[in-house]
Amino acid sequence: MKVSLNWIKEYVSLPEALSTEQLSYDLTMRTVEVEGTANPADTLSGCVLGLITRISAHPQADMLKVCTVDVGRETPSTIVCGGSNIYEGMRCAVALPGAKVRWHGEGEPVLIKATKLRGIKSEGMICAAAELELDELFPAEDEHEVIDLADFEGQPGDALAQVLELSDIILEIDNKSLTNRPDLWGHYGIARELAAIYGLELKPLPPFERPEELPEYPVTIENPQRCRRYVGIIYEGVASVPSPWWLQTALWKTGVRPINALVDLTNYVMLAVGQPTHGFDKENVREEIIIRNAKPGETLTLLDGHQLELSGEDLMICDATEPIALGGIMGGAKDSILPTTSTMILEIANFEPIKLRRSANRYQVRTESANRNEKGLDTQRIDQAMAVANNLIKELFPGARMSAFSDVYPVKTVCPVIPVKLNWLNIRLGRKLTSDKVARLLRPLGFEVISEGGALRVSVPSWRATGDVNLPDDVLEEVARIIGYDSFDFIPPTVKLTAAVRQPGAQMERRLREYFAARCDMQEVFTYPWVDKRYLEAAGIDPEGCLSLSAPPSPDTASLRSSLIPAMLAVAALNLRYFESFRVFEMAQVFAPGESHPSDENETLPLQKRQLAAAFVGQDAGLLFREMKGVLEDLPRAVMSESLGFAQQEKPAWADPKAWLNILSGDEAIGSFGVISLRTSRLTGIKRATVVVMALDVDALVPLPSRSNVYQRLPLFPVVEQDFSILVDEKTAWQDICTALEKSVDSIVFIEEYRGKQIPQGKKSVMFRVHFGSDRGTLTAEQIDEKMNSIIKKINKLGGEVRN
Amino acid sequence: MRERLETMKIAALEAARNAGTAEELQQIRHQYLGRKGELTLILKELGKLEAEKRRQIGMLSNEVKNAISQAITDREEALADEGSAIQGELDLTLPGIPPVSGALHPITQMCYDLNDAFLSLGFEVYAEDDITSEQYAFDHLNFPPEHPARDTMDTYWLKGSEDKKGSERLCLRPHLTGGSVRYLKKHGAPARFVYPGRVYRNEATDARHERAFFQYEALIVEKDFSFASGQLLVGTILEKVFGRPTDTRMRAGFFPFVEPGFEIDMKCLVCGGSGCKVCKNVGWIEVMPGGTPHPNVLKAAGLDPEIWSGFYINIGLDRLVMMRYGVDDVRLFHSADLRFLRQFR
Repeated sequence: MKVSLNWIKEYVSLPEALSTEQLSYDLTMRTVEVEGTANPADTLSGCVLGLITRISAHPQADMLKVCTVDVGRETPSTIVCGGSNIYEGMRCAVALPGAKVRWHGEGEPVLIKATKLRGIKSEGMICAAAELELDELFPAEDEHEVIDLADFEGQPGDALAQVLELSDIILEIDNKSLTNRPDLWGHYGIARELAAIYGLELKPLPPFERPEELPEYPVTIENPQRCRRYVGIIYEGVASVPSPWWLQTALWKTGVRPINALVDLTNYVMLAVGQPTHGFDKENVREEIIIRNAKPGETLTLLDGHQLELSGEDLMICDATEPIALGGIMGGAKDSILPTTSTMILEIANFEPIKLRRSANRYQVRTESANRNEKGLDTQRIDQAMAVANNLIKELFPGARMSAFSDVYPVKTVCPVIPVKLNWLNIRLGRKLTSDKVARLLRPLGFEVISEGGALRVSVPSWRATGDVNLPDDVLEEVARIIGYDSFDFIPPTVKLTAAVRQPGAQMERRLREYFAARCDMQEVFTYPWVDKRYLEAAGIDPEGCLSLSAPPSPDTASLRSSLIPAMLAVAALNLRYFESFRVFEMAQVFAPGESHPSDENETLPLQKRQLAAAFVGQDAGLLFREMKGVLEDLPRAVMSESLGFAQQEKPAWADPKAWLNILSGDEAIGSFGVISLRTSRLTGIKRATVVVMALDVDALVPLPSRSNVYQRLPLFPVVEQDFSILVDEKTAWQDICTALEKSVDSIVFIEEYRGKQIPQGKKSVMFRVHFGSDRGTLTAEQIDEKMNSIIKKINKLGGEVRN
Repeated sequence: MRERLETMKIAALEAARNAGTAEELQQIRHQYLGRKGELTLILKELGKLEAEKRRQIGMLSNEVKNAISQAITDREEALADEGSAIQGELDLTLPGIPPVSGALHPITQMCYDLNDAFLSLGFEVYAEDDITSEQYAFDHLNFPPEHPARDTMDTYWLKGSEDKKGSERLCLRPHLTGGSVRYLKKHGAPARFVYPGRVYRNEATDARHERAFFQYEALIVEKDFSFASGQLLVGTILEKVFGRPTDTRMRAGFFPFVEPGFEIDMKCLVCGGSGCKVCKNVGWIEVMPGGTPHPNVLKAAGLDPEIWSGFYINIGLDRLVMMRYGVDDVRLFHSADLRFLRQFR
């Protein structure tokens, strides 16, 4: 919202010494955020009033004229101009060299320089309104028309901003910070805040003198819940003439386009007190005004040309036959102020905000009026609006006459009285205030404070009574912000230490991430919870079994993830564009239909679990598989959880038929890993790489209270180390070899597998290293031989033979 | 003969000391101690001497032989110690071999930095589920029934529940604050905890707006806690993030779940408060909202607002990380693009 300081000064006399910066700061700290300040005169710097004394033809161009212009200097300037409406003796707007204008009213401002135009020197520019961004004040008939200042006082050379009386300070206020303050959507409300902040007097608005002996204009409110007050005033002897200059500029500076005196006065009232108003042409309003919900099949064409097929939820202003306005949002094209209007019905009304907002959203109609009405206004404010409107009409149309009046007022805004304990207030504020001091702080804002011992009774003014202030805490906020939050020193909180924070679950989650990233060389990634159906299909997940969004980011991403595997596939495919091999992981929640009650029995949420997923991408499937298995084998010790096992129990849909394992906690599968199947590869679009993925239910990992591994005593006597290379059947698993030898050796370590020319079909060569020794002494040659023979015998029993 | 031996010893020791390579030493050994070496030649003349003389010269020549041999060995060791493990040349400008290339996501890193700071103040770390209900996302937080954030245009409602109400209307959580009520209901007061997490908003995305982003929220609930103590939370976060104390200010701000509510600004670190492009000439940058839990929120959590009070702060992690590293597009955080993420290892 734009706020004019000149306008504010009509309601409160601000100190001369108060700088714009200080005022912006104080308003920002205590009330609403001032995003910036600007003086409309600044854009006109270097522009002056000019008098065209002579016009001659341009020798090179038919469309251009060479003008001699008095710009207040000793010698007049020569300016080449293509204006269609120039004449000798014309008072015009001249941009002198150094000024900035918007070329043809478009783009960024450009600097004017003395130059030659088609061979003739030109010392400036005679400007069209759009070139100075003044087109709303000087609407042009055609684009070649320049500004004619015949109606303005001033001498050639006077600054244009001064001639047009545009100097002001405009505060740009962040609308977001105004949403809960319907009282601040007009200049009078902002003036009240400033008066309270600086301890100044707020000038009262003129009282409205209720007319007597006037006929009543027929107004009926059928739905008093939606329309709580409706004032209709008939003014005869008015006309759609241009507003006086002061009114036009007052609106223009605050961002509202001047139209004609009747429309402008409704906008002026709104900008002054925040109460929207509307004018109808009485000639077109048949007999009466009825405020009712739209009936089936009714339509309305709005002022901006929108044609609405109305809903029964819309509250309409209607005449005897049909809707004439969308209540509190926008008037209809047919019955609002027209160029021919001579009798006006001025509407000042109060509407229920929530349903009004729904109507505005239904048709995507955003207006200044809807903006204010949907914040929730007090019905009492209509009295202020009537007074401001009536005074302005008397000023604009001295011959106008109020000929009928109606004020239907079924529901009045209730002003609450809030009991506040002074002691509570002082503890929460962290300082000692007397009830007198509280009253002095609050009174300028309109609150009345009655003190009875330690108890205060705070009466809320009507303009703060529509939801904004109704609790003791709201009163506390008012007191604190007017004192100024920056006047409160930091108070260190007192802390009672009881026990150390112990959160094994949260700590394990962090250890998992740190183990993966720092020790397993994996990059953490984040993906969205909604997944593309392409990757769901690739992972073999049926979207029908997933939860989905009612309004998803795109039709293909409606499903919420039930697993992180589709995301891992997508991440693998994406990064294969730039890297040949890499490792990634993600920890996030996955979702499934079902029931959970994290806080309340009456709140039923779907199943939600933390899942940990990873992808290893490279060339050698067997190697990648073993690398992933290694990460999982070391995981329990690194993150302090109970140990994990591996077995094939249930094959995941995405897995290669040969290369997969379930991850077990006890006997229960809590995840799986494996090479992705060729089908999954194809559907993911992965061609020249192998991907191993893993998914694990983190909530099923049981954190241990402490480390569980124990120290192994170091050997006292030398240990024998021996490598074996054995030939076994393809079906013989490494686990079989380990089981066969585990009793004979202290340790057994896999080195490599080999299949090749020297190895017969159906066989493989396995190389491994064993250690053995004794606690009683160094083994003798005989003991070693005996041990070796026993190992070889066990290998032979397994169907293997030693190669070397 | 004695003289010859003494002279030879001096010459041999001198030669050994000055030898520069193993080859030279080999040459010296050969010259003096070899089969046709000088010492051997002298010894061959021993037979011509009388017994007593022969014994004396024999002893002397043995000493000389040992001395020369020792000198050569010493020099050999010395030369070997001066040598290098590198054969040929080593290019010292070759890049090092990186330990590992994995890393935590920059947002996780920031989150853990903040957790460490708050854990040192005795805070707990709490997490709520991503899917919540309208009851916890809005009703308990004092959002009026018709608040715009409840619209489908703003919040991701789950299909099938979008037309229901309260505890039956489910959504991806639009903010973290609902989690505070869950925690307080479970653990009661006094309480101090942080609850970082990802939140979701239905909006158009661009370099500054995302549909999924991270917040970090902290809450203290204590008896008669004054908002003037809330600065502790603010200072803890900013000092951790920027590595030094920062000037902050609290100004009036409105959020349904706090009363009073604040916008918290930080003095611009680029210009020090004098005004620049980064802070739009204001000197201050808006960093987070905060405030005292609204009485209705405390009531929803089963606490008596007459007794309990406290302070919330909520900060956008994405924006902090963007400020920390100068990242110019918020969408990169969910891109899973390793070219981006590997910059933060």
